[in-house]
Amino acid sequence: MAEHDLTARLAAHLDRHLVFPLLEFLQERGIYPEEEILAAKLRLLAFLRDPQRVQLLRPDKQFNIHILQERFQIGPDQIEALYDDAKFQFECGYYSDVTAYLHHYRVLSTNSERSVRALWGMLASEILTRNWNAALEDLNRLKEIIDLMNSSSPLNQLQNRIWLMHWSLFIFFNHENGRNGIIDLFFQDRYLNAIKTNAQHLLRYLAIAVVVNKRRRNMLKELIKVIQQERHSYKDPVTEFLECLYVNYDFDGAQQKLMECEQVILNDPFLGKRIEVGNSITVPIRDEFFENARLFIFETYCRIRRCIDMSILAEKMNMKYADAEFWIMNLVKSSKLDAKIDSVSGTLIMTVSRVDVHEQIIDSLKNLNMRTYMLAQNIVDMSQAAQQADRGD
Amino acid sequence: MQSSRFWGQGDSESEEEEEEVESEQGSDSEDDGGRGAGGRGTQNRYLKTQEDDSDESDSGHRVIRSLRDKRNDEMRSIVDQMRNAMKINDWVSLQESFEKLNKHLEKVVRVNESTEIPKMYTKALVLLEDFLAEALANKEAKKKMSSSNAKALNAMKQKLKKNNKQYEDQIQKCREHPESFEDEAADDIDDDTDDDEDSGAEIEDPLEVGSDSEADDKEDPDNDNTGPWTTVNKKDKMDKQFLKDPSEITWDIVDKKLKEIVASRGKKGTGRIERVEQLTFLTRVAKTPAQKLEILFHVISAQFDVNPSLLGHMPVKVWKKCVNNMLLVLDILQQYPNIVVDTSVEPDEKETQKGADYNGTIHVTGDLVAFLERLDTEFFKTLQCTDPYTKDYVQRLREEPQFLVVAQNVQDYLERVGNLKAAAKVALRRVELVYYKPQEVYDAMRKLAEQPEDSVEEGDAETGDEPQAMDDNRGPPPFVVIPEIVPRKPTFPDSGRTLMDGLMSLIYKYGDERTKARAMLCDIYHHAISDEFSVARDLLLMSHLQDGVQLMDISSQILFNRVMAQLGLCAFRAGLINEAHGCLTELYSTGRVKELLAQGVQQSRYHEKTPEQERLERRRQMPYHMHINLELLEATHLICAMLIEVPNMAASTYDKRRPMSKTFRRLLEVSERQTFVGPPENVRDHVMAATRALNKGDHQKAFSVVSSLEIWKLLRNREHVLEMLKLKIKEEALRTYLFSYSSCYESLSLNQLTTMFDLSEQHAHSIVSKMMMHEELHASWDQPTKCIVFHSVDQTRLQGLLFHMADKLSVLVESNERAYEAKTGGTLEGLPPRRRGEGQDSSNLGRWQENFVQGRQGGGNRSGYAGRGGGSGQGGGYQRDRGNQGSRGGYSGGGSRFQDGRGRNQSGSSARGGDGGARMVSLNRTGRV
Repeated sequence: MAEHDLTARLAAHLDRHLVFPLLEFLQERGIYPEEEILAAKLRLLAFLRDPQRVQLLRPDKQFNIHILQERFQIGPDQIEALYDDAKFQFECGYYSDVTAYLHHYRVLSTNSERSVRALWGMLASEILTRNWNAALEDLNRLKEIIDLMNSSSPLNQLQNRIWLMHWSLFIFFNHENGRNGIIDLFFQDRYLNAIKTNAQHLLRYLAIAVVVNKRRRNMLKELIKVIQQERHSYKDPVTEFLECLYVNYDFDGAQQKLMECEQVILNDPFLGKRIEVGNSITVPIRDEFFENARLFIFETYCRIRRCIDMSILAEKMNMKYADAEFWIMNLVKSSKLDAKIDSVSGTLIMTVSRVDVHEQIIDSLKNLNMRTYMLAQNIVDMSQAAQQADRGD
Repeated sequence: MQSSRFWGQGDSESEEEEEEVESEQGSDSEDDGGRGAGGRGTQNRYLKTQEDDSDESDSGHRVIRSLRDKRNDEMRSIVDQMRNAMKINDWVSLQESFEKLNKHLEKVVRVNESTEIPKMYTKALVLLEDFLAEALANKEAKKKMSSSNAKALNAMKQKLKKNNKQYEDQIQKCREHPESFEDEAADDIDDDTDDDEDSGAEIEDPLEVGSDSEADDKEDPDNDNTGPWTTVNKKDKMDKQFLKDPSEITWDIVDKKLKEIVASRGKKGTGRIERVEQLTFLTRVAKTPAQKLEILFHVISAQFDVNPSLLGHMPVKVWKKCVNNMLLVLDILQQYPNIVVDTSVEPDEKETQKGADYNGTIHVTGDLVAFLERLDTEFFKTLQCTDPYTKDYVQRLREEPQFLVVAQNVQDYLERVGNLKAAAKVALRRVELVYYKPQEVYDAMRKLAEQPEDSVEEGDAETGDEPQAMDDNRGPPPFVVIPEIVPRKPTFPDSGRTLMDGLMSLIYKYGDERTKARAMLCDIYHHAISDEFSVARDLLLMSHLQDGVQLMDISSQILFNRVMAQLGLCAFRAGLINEAHGCLTELYSTGRVKELLAQGVQQSRYHEKTPEQERLERRRQMPYHMHINLELLEATHLICAMLIEVPNMAASTYDKRRPMSKTFRRLLEVSERQTFVGPPENVRDHVMAATRALNKGDHQKAFSVVSSLEIWKLLRNREHVLEMLKLKIKEEALRTYLFSYSSCYESLSLNQLTTMFDLSEQHAHSIVSKMMMHEELHASWDQPTKCIVFHSVDQTRLQGLLFHMADKLSVLVESNERAYEAKTGGTLEGLPPRRRGEGQDSSNLGRWQENFVQGRQGGGNRSGYAGRGGGSGQGGGYQRDRGNQGSRGGYSGGGSRFQDGRGRNQSGSSARGGDGGARMVSLNRTGRV
């Protein structure tokens, strides 16, 4: 399963501190040999601990700042010291303080570049302290700043966007409104371009978010376009599933890919988050993904068919015959599906809805009528206004 | 020993004679002189032989005596001749004698081993001067002279004036104390030994060579007596200055001479080749490395001057010498890192005087990059001018590594001194020699370059390498000896890609805009020929090159066109038909591919080119080995168009949608109008035949016709491509069949389809499903029986017409709205968003564009086609700009610009850019006639 693991690719764009939770997750899943992860962790820890040796200096510095703050005689040097101190705290792992420090720093500082860096720091520490709402705010603030960075090179901007997207994964898969957020953010032209250029692996998260989010089905088309374009540079079962279903209409292939998706989702640090409900452990994203994916398959399948054998359908949907029948009955009843079950032959017969040609013609002409009317109205208004103006003069 | 040396002397003299005979074009008098000298030589030989016979032991002494005497005697006799000539007022013979005298002077001086010129000579000069003044004063006599005599007089006047300047003091002295000069010249011959005789004899040779080449240069036979002799005269002077002991040549002398030669540039009567020879000679006697370098620069630019015309090219021999000189320059620069080549700093007068042991930096004016670029251009030009089917062409092509090695060394040097901008320029030159080579060709070149020198040289032997080698051996040993430090052989990494990557990263970092753009294009080209379509495409789009093509120079535009062609071929090989068509369609939309790719001049019947335009165009041509096979390109384009257009035509029997490929439609119309359809001959015929078969759904015949084309042999992975083509033809045949005949069926079993079109069940299913989903086919599957059940949704004729009307009306409304907007500057309120993009969807350009036009959820019956484009086209990838989201489809934008660019391409004058459209029509007519 390790071949679909993205941790290495993700880690390149994350702060070292942010990598830590990912590694822990991997350890839990046991995909990689224990020693390897431990080695990686140790290296990280060694790095994280190292500053602690210098910690002795800290109280002193902090004290100074404190005093100065109290007397309101803060010079720029002291403000910079505040930043350094926050950085230091962060490296030591005291994330909760960092946010406050950096907030003050941002208020006081005039150095815009460092202020941006401070914002990144705040974001990181909020993510690490699981303060998702604040993190989301910071994320949006950062996004604005990045979009306004016209002066810096495009490459720099691109890099910043990619970082932002990676960091945002933490937020979006934890925040309650994150699933809309991720689609909104990633589908923005610039971010989509950034994904296409340098971070194709993010397509997995985008794909899952789109599939899971029922209200954003209209983005699917665009997503598939992107997936197809990037086929040569990135693919995993999730993207392949969508490709099978919507490009090749290969239902067997889609089915197979769907099975593979399960492992991918479970092994992904962001997607495979578990929630204990009572005594059973569920992975919410997996469940939702499967539910929606099944619906996708079913919809597409029905759309191009007039008559379907229920047993094959059940098999395709990875359900028992009775379950499938019940599921379809529900759909029909809730009038989501325009079909009838012929239970003697065990088939589902779709009602073919045909658009009337007359209606089509009328539709296309109705619109014209309205537009022309508006145009005429506007012109008349304009000329009247002109006339009045003339008379007024 | 002495005698043998003497023999050697005698031989060298007779050799000299032979050479002079060889230079037959020279004047008679020259010949005579030579023979005379030769004759005397033989006489002496006899004399000496006798002496040898009688007494060997003391022959050495006598020999020397006789030689010295001989020289002096000769001189004396010449002076006598001159006197005689003066008496009869014969300026022609006087002039000859004068030349002879000057020539002998050098010999005498050498024999005498003194820097002083013989008194006899000075006296003769004085005599001449006086006589000349007298003759000039006597105007009447002058008028009476024959024309040749008068001419000689004038020439003499000039020459004497020039010549006498050198000997001013002596002449002055002579005039003051004529009596001291009365003594016989022989007296001042000292008793030096003839140590230097050998080297002296050798030194003569470059002079002879000089006069040889000069003789070649001559055109006017009347000028004969003046032309060659001037040269010798000059050489004479040079020798006088430089044939001395090395220690006596000072920096100043060399510098003075250099300035003199440099100043002579472009003056009448100075042969270009001769200048090169003179300068080359100077490099040998240069005193300091810096001076040598300076002179070498002059040599190189003189070599570039050899061919003055823009159209012609530098002679290959000179080019080679030039390459060697460049290497020499690099050797010097490598050995003396304190010498800096610069154009910005105005060097001090005496800058180059600083010797090899000088520690500070020495500035020498020169531009290595300019030289290198010129060298490259000359190489390119030779290839342009050479007939590609001759051996010469291949021979010339084999010399490419020689240039590459210079380029490599120059680049290394520039990187070393930190001039990275210039290094990037050089890197670009290297890239431009490599980018069009697929790995196989690259390997061949590498092998050629790595061959031991001899085997390479073998072939070159006839072309004149050897004489050159001999040249190098003659002349005095250079004062400043520079060992060959820089490698003389290029080193190539294993794959062309690695080489390209290395150079690219340098260029991207330090190159200027044009360098970067060109390098990028080369890079894309190289990716395309190595079958990496996606990489090439991404590079093209990310670089935004299309936006700027029309601003680039013509050669870059040509490069861009080549890139597009190659990209199209690459996409085709990868089976990406739509992309391939998109790349190629622009090239073919005007029918002037040859011109766009600079692969030959196309004659247009309707537009006469001025000779000026033609010449410009000829100068832009690509050398043959860089050509893209036009037949292959045409076949690719037409096949792509066929695969797209045939189902499209079948689908739209009712409403005539805009064709995807107008060119193809036009060709099809032409071929349909033919009364008799013969067996296909050219590429076009083949594709048309295939189209006819495909139209009927006969995929087998279509494929067999297409695959019978010869050009597929050119493809590397031929089998693979044909396999792909077969599959595509089957798919499109299936689609065409369904479009055309679906109305005739109530239902159709999948089995039947798979057997008819020889496709796998899954594949056929997928294709049909796709058509259903996109509402191209109004049908659905009946799963238990595996049948396609068709719904009859046929429109009546009236309904079809109504749709047409609706379309047209909406276009009308839209243009009204646009007009309103333009007038008021605001948008209409309360209207649904217009779908402007959709109106263009079916145009071939729109296909690239549509992916960026959002929200085409509506669109009624159209969405079928739009959807298809969206489903299968990857055009969106072409729009991959970060930061600049405002621009629409990069490709389509590029397309129109590309056309603009073409306007310039055609003629080099932007004035003609506008009439492209009109001419396209005329071309159209040409096709039909």
